[in-house]
Amino acid sequence: MLESGLCSYVLISYGHSALSSDSMQRMLLDLSGDDAVFGHFGATGGYALAARRAMHEFGTGPETWKKIAVGQRRWANLNPAAMMHSKPMTEADYDNAKLIVEPLRLPDNCLITDGGRAIIVTSLERARDLKQPPAVIMGMGQHNPSTVIAQSDWMAGPTGARQAGEAAFAMADITLDDVDACQIYDCFTYTVEITLQDYGFFKPGGGRDWLQGGTIEPGGRMPVNTSGGQLSEAYFMGMTPIAEGAMQIMGRCGERQLGPATRTKSPEIILCSDNGGILQSHSCTLLRRL
Amino acid sequence: MSSVRDRYAIVGVGYTPQGRVPGRTSLSFHLEASANAIKDAGLNKNDIDGFISYRNFPAASDENELTPNIIAQHLGLSPIYMSQDAN
Amino acid sequence: MSYDKPLPKLNSDNRPFWEGCRQHELRFQRCSDCGHVRWPPSDLCPQCHSTEINWLISKGIGKVYTFAVYHTAFHPGFAADLPYTVAVVALDEGPHFMSNIVGCRPDEVKCDMPVKVVWEDVDERITLPKFRALS
Repeated sequence: MLESGLCSYVLISYGHSALSSDSMQRMLLDLSGDDAVFGHFGATGGYALAARRAMHEFGTGPETWKKIAVGQRRWANLNPAAMMHSKPMTEADYDNAKLIVEPLRLPDNCLITDGGRAIIVTSLERARDLKQPPAVIMGMGQHNPSTVIAQSDWMAGPTGARQAGEAAFAMADITLDDVDACQIYDCFTYTVEITLQDYGFFKPGGGRDWLQGGTIEPGGRMPVNTSGGQLSEAYFMGMTPIAEGAMQIMGRCGERQLGPATRTKSPEIILCSDNGGILQSHSCTLLRRL
Repeated sequence: MSSVRDRYAIVGVGYTPQGRVPGRTSLSFHLEASANAIKDAGLNKNDIDGFISYRNFPAASDENELTPNIIAQHLGLSPIYMSQDAN
Repeated sequence: MSYDKPLPKLNSDNRPFWEGCRQHELRFQRCSDCGHVRWPPSDLCPQCHSTEINWLISKGIGKVYTFAVYHTAFHPGFAADLPYTVAVVALDEGPHFMSNIVGCRPDEVKCDMPVKVVWEDVDERITLPKFRALS
């Protein structure tokens, strides 16, 4: 709509009393449809099916997902606004956590959060005159495979991330090597793994090795979800990753700021992803500093 | 596909209290986040002429269904473009 | 004892399927033009958009494509069943069908495990297809 000249300043807004109201309980039955006949409910069930198929197809599992959960928690521990700010998590904590829908444990699941988040998008020309340093959109891509999880045959990849990522990187005319950090839609740890895999950061099953040694953590070579993400900061759908990507580019992240504060590279380019449904929709946005 | 490379930017981010924050409506979080984002960008609400609201899950039993119209009304917006997103 | 789990919503798209279940038949729509066997049911072939069908009665045999084991009851009707298995069964005729695996422990279920349909008569309207290991 900006490109067409229809608008000058677009506001995108999210708000939900998810934790303190009964909205989520109402959703569970409303949105499960006839899956509920067989006792299948909600996102955890859907992603559990996907994660299990991935275990079968390329040998992933809790040993990989643990590193995502623990790694992102370390970012949350630097973020006073994060729900999990004062709750460190060790690998043993992950192993001992209860199974919700196997193979997914509690720390594999995103948070449920009361709160809101909003961003403003405008043209680069107008952005130059405004208060904050702009987070420039270098590239965007989308792909919506659509099929519900029960009938999908790509739940272990390639998901919509593959095409969406290719389109975004082509538009931006950059490669993965140019990316300094990632804000990945992390409704579940498995979502982070399959997204990074489909973007090409590692081959199928290569996630566990890739994550070794704190890759995604403060001090790591590829920080992921630097606010703590939906897993450890707050769940605001796609607003969680895109807002953090923008704030990091703007240099406003305090103790968790990418750069010398966290022994990481100062971010020039940040990759942000967004998902919908159970791997049914995907978008990829590349942000850069002006 | 036409490229929008380097033509647009995010210029403001709005936060609210987050976590367990009882006693508030989903609407109130939309309003606070939106007002804060507009202030953060150094803009006035009258500058906003495009609006996308995230769909909520079914409204809580003590709240009405949230549509972009309702949120826009409370923000005092009458945007040229408006839609509701998220699946 | 009353049945306290959700029951399927019958409508013009799925009624023939659920009526087939009452007869212990797993019925699917096979597109007369391209041969695609579809699930869930609808008037339109998702592959070629034809509206011509003939009905196929599945042998009810397939493999577990994937599965999930519920350790949490999201609905009180399932609390007594914990832990229970939800699976996507890849039937030999093509469709992927969501159901439960019964007759074995959840930890005995594996991807690619061969299974066969069994029937659970709930009431005079609804019979549910479930699956057990084919030994």
